[in-house]
Amino acid sequence: MSSNPSLIESLNPTADPSVDFRARLGEVDESMRKPAMLFLVSAVFWLLAGSAFAMIAAIKSTNPDFLGLTEWLTFGRVRTAHLNAMIFGWGNNVIFAVAPWIMGRLCKARIRHTNILLIAGIFWNIAVTIGIFGILRGDMVGVEWLEMPAYVTPFVIITYALVGVWVVIAFRWRQSEHVYVSQWYILAAFFWLPWLYTIAQVMLIFEPATGVVQSLTNWWFAHNVLGLWLTPIALATAYYLIPKVLGRPIHSYYLSVIGFWALALFYNWAGVHHLIGGPVPAWVISAGTVASVMMVIPVIVTAINHHLTVVGCHKEGWASPTIRFVVFGAINYTVVSLFGSAMALRGVNEVTHFTHYTVGHAHHGVYGFFTMIMFGAVYYMMPRLLFREWRNAFLIKVHWWMCGMGIILMVAALQIGGWFQGLQMNELSEDGTAVYTFLQVVENTKPWLWLRSLSGLMLVVGHFAFAINVFWMIFSPRTQDQVTQPTLLTPTTEEA
Amino acid sequence: MEWSQYILVGFVFASLFFIGAALALNWAHRHGQLSNLEKGAKTIFDDDEPLGEVTDTFPVKRKKRSPKGI
Repeated sequence: MSSNPSLIESLNPTADPSVDFRARLGEVDESMRKPAMLFLVSAVFWLLAGSAFAMIAAIKSTNPDFLGLTEWLTFGRVRTAHLNAMIFGWGNNVIFAVAPWIMGRLCKARIRHTNILLIAGIFWNIAVTIGIFGILRGDMVGVEWLEMPAYVTPFVIITYALVGVWVVIAFRWRQSEHVYVSQWYILAAFFWLPWLYTIAQVMLIFEPATGVVQSLTNWWFAHNVLGLWLTPIALATAYYLIPKVLGRPIHSYYLSVIGFWALALFYNWAGVHHLIGGPVPAWVISAGTVASVMMVIPVIVTAINHHLTVVGCHKEGWASPTIRFVVFGAINYTVVSLFGSAMALRGVNEVTHFTHYTVGHAHHGVYGFFTMIMFGAVYYMMPRLLFREWRNAFLIKVHWWMCGMGIILMVAALQIGGWFQGLQMNELSEDGTAVYTFLQVVENTKPWLWLRSLSGLMLVVGHFAFAINVFWMIFSPRTQDQVTQPTLLTPTTEEA
Repeated sequence: MEWSQYILVGFVFASLFFIGAALALNWAHRHGQLSNLEKGAKTIFDDDEPLGEVTDTFPVKRKKRSPKGI
């Protein structure tokens, strides 16, 4: 085997992986530095941009005249720009940094072809930039979670293909015998996303289905981006980092395998619960509701595993920035998933549908669960990638408290306010007419929306604390490093 | 497209999903990935980040620890 294998050699299906050599973690980290940092820095920029769009949209929901004369910043555009900046700018960039890094570490092989990831990083950020620009100028597609204009699609496909190929190559040349549960989740996610995206593109963009089929496909896609893309990556990260940081194996590895296959089996069906009450065949809704409730199985299994691994290590967990964020995210996975199963019940959905309760639920999942776990991953990754330390513990604490308390306040405000909103919209007088006019319901919702804006402000403060620490770490002189255990690794093979 | 064609497209992609899952499960079984699982849980630890050692703390607290292994 040559020292620098060509792409053809790496893709050769008949090649024997056993001829390659095992790499130490420090070597893997060093090899992953450039692509991972490209994605991480991009992710932080998009996090700040998405936060700015979010604040504008939040203020507009109580003060509609705010920036009302600027057509680029009308609510419909800026809210959509926020969603896309967060999901595809922040979310996918941080996934493309974290997932290959975990995969590389677990494969314990030398890292090949990082140029593929670098090219993917450039393509991806061009795609998101053009996409957000297109949304703001009014070019958006009217499909939830696929709003970026169709001319961005080639960049998106190329990126998914490049990162997917890299992950497959890394797995193909692994030097570890056992495939750890995080690798299962990552491999599955990189198989599921192109699958989802292809069907959505065919049935919603190129040959748009009409009527009910369009709505079904839309919500099947949108819900599965959360459940079969963001969720498996976040769970993979939690399954890797919780035992790794605490130095103890996962509580029950058997349960983790059950959790993975149960997620694969049930989640795919659940998305259509968004259309409860719509003109959809009843059996389709029933199937979605059953699958949503069946999701309790992988959720409880995962909860047992994550939470019981931490039991008895609370002091060590509290002392770790990574564990603080990851465990917060893991707890929220349990809570948000059980809420989600309950929301799929027809009786509950009658109240929560078309209210801010659903918006709160979405933020709970994407932020309280996914984003918090990704923050934890960044706190663990960057010292190892850069061989230097976080500059300021106070900023980490500000980040954790502001984002942790901020998202709890946001979810509480939107879900309590949304529940009242739903009750008021449904309330009928004895003669069958609505007790509240729509405008009255909107006015009654305003205090909760102010609370939402306040919670958003807390998140923004947390994001700035995070960004300052990230860039401070990147640009600080190397001579200031405190090279100590245990955050930094032992020397790589060459240094040793 | 007619609705029947959408069903066909959906069927093809759904089949891909389930065939992929079945193949993965079969591969895992044949390669012993589903046996001796508790041993597999420890594969994330090695000499660099060993079992029983906490590998992450706040920067301020770390300075109080004695350097090791550098």
